[in-house]
Amino acid sequence: MTRTEYTETNPNLPGITVLEFLRAVIDPELGIDIVNLGMVYRIQVNRGDVRVEMTLTTPGCPLHGSIRADVEQVLMSVPGIDTVNVELVWDPPWTPDLMSDEAKYSLGFP
Amino acid sequence: MPRLGAGGAPPVLPIALLWLGAAALVAGTVALSFSPRLLIGHSGSAGMVALVHTFTLGFVSLVFAGTLQQLPAVMFVTRLAWPRLGYVSTPLLLIGTVLIVCGFAAGFAGRLLALGGLTLSVAWLLLLTQHLATALRRWPKDAGGQALVMSVVFLTLTVVAGLILAGARTTPQVAATVGYPVGLHMTLGFFGAFLLGIIGSGQKLLQMFALSKGGAQWRVRSSAWLVAAGITAEALRAFAVLDSGLMPPILIGAAALLQLHEVHAIHKRRLRRKLEAPIQRYVLAHLFLPVAALLWLAGLPVAAAAAFLVGFTGMAVSGMLVKIMSFLVWTATFAGSATGGVAGGAPLLRDLVRDELEPVTTWGLAAGTLALCAALATQLVPLAYLAANLLLIGAISQLLQVTNIVLSTIRAKRRIEVSSARESTA
Repeated sequence: MTRTEYTETNPNLPGITVLEFLRAVIDPELGIDIVNLGMVYRIQVNRGDVRVEMTLTTPGCPLHGSIRADVEQVLMSVPGIDTVNVELVWDPPWTPDLMSDEAKYSLGFP
Repeated sequence: MPRLGAGGAPPVLPIALLWLGAAALVAGTVALSFSPRLLIGHSGSAGMVALVHTFTLGFVSLVFAGTLQQLPAVMFVTRLAWPRLGYVSTPLLLIGTVLIVCGFAAGFAGRLLALGGLTLSVAWLLLLTQHLATALRRWPKDAGGQALVMSVVFLTLTVVAGLILAGARTTPQVAATVGYPVGLHMTLGFFGAFLLGIIGSGQKLLQMFALSKGGAQWRVRSSAWLVAAGITAEALRAFAVLDSGLMPPILIGAAALLQLHEVHAIHKRRLRRKLEAPIQRYVLAHLFLPVAALLWLAGLPVAAAAAFLVGFTGMAVSGMLVKIMSFLVWTATFAGSATGGVAGGAPLLRDLVRDELEPVTTWGLAAGTLALCAALATQLVPLAYLAANLLLIGAISQLLQVTNIVLSTIRAKRRIEVSSARESTA
């Protein structure tokens, strides 16, 4: 599983907390949250401004609109967050190896 | 770093084409169930050819055309060129298909066939132009994307070859100039359009849905060139330039073998152990490739064609039809809007599919194809009845599924709207 990188300047809002909130965002195709899928690469917290660098299972994924909107909606509901900027990146490309053991298990991987 | 740029046609276009494709399969199997004796006797009879074109033009090509309104945007990671062009090409596709099927059903009515061929040629030339313009925006570097482009070229050539055949029937000068290249028309359609279309789109889609990384670019690239070489050899024979002997089937057989290897490799290295039912159907479809080869080697070309067309192409298209339909209606309804993390809002894609219908579709089509091949090989009437009814069951189940996907999504959307309205009132 990939490790999400954090850059944070707000002691009241550590990146790991932001990541925990992102567990509420589910990939509608796989039925697994984007954190366990290993899609969240980097979280930057600058006071109330949060920037999320994430990927999707494939470039051109038709679900990008709703996943991005979900990330923005979930984080904007967190007290202390004023703005959310979601950046979709493709380098490194997502591979199934980035998934957590829990996600792999739920897909039937032994 | 490429930015995401998915953008297809207005969703109503691909959704309508996919639904109509599923409906056409039901129409064809209903017709067959009323006259299963069409399977017994001359394979080139008017009724039989009308049925074949209901399947190829009505089911497979409509689904293919619908997929082309969305898939290139995903595969090439760019926006579809002229997304509203489908408002012109779609009615032409439907009118042309009806004219062709009626032309054959009426006993090879030359004028209907020529008019239908012309209408379909215009429709597919528009679709090809749109597809090439989309590809040129961001030329696909992967072998799958390139194979998809080639398959659209071959499908357009198939339709044009059909128009030439219609012209040869009505105008002696056309027949004297180009002959009557039925073999080329079939080779272009079966292998250039359908086999290559499945090879091209299948690698990306199967890897995506199976969460696998077992695909190899060289296999898809080699398959594409082998199919192209096989079609070239068939064209040389059709126009009496060169007697290519067994070269076309050998080259195309090698391409099919590589596709089997490709699907096996992706399947073997998948992370998603239990594939969803439509994807299982797509994988299972590939078992009909060796069945078709064995029937052909046994000197049963009509049964081999049925195994390839209904078993391989039909089941592969059917599997992807259900997956693509659920993606299309879901994104058309929910994309771009927050869904409350899905858990509290929109359904998962798999919740749109009625699980109990999937095995009925898969085994109806699979067992129906086996019975169809047996009926064509043995000319036994009871087998023809069995084939017709099994295929009808599979086709109805598939139509119910795609209809259910659309209705489930509409219901889910309404539920969310009612829930939001209550929350805002409270």
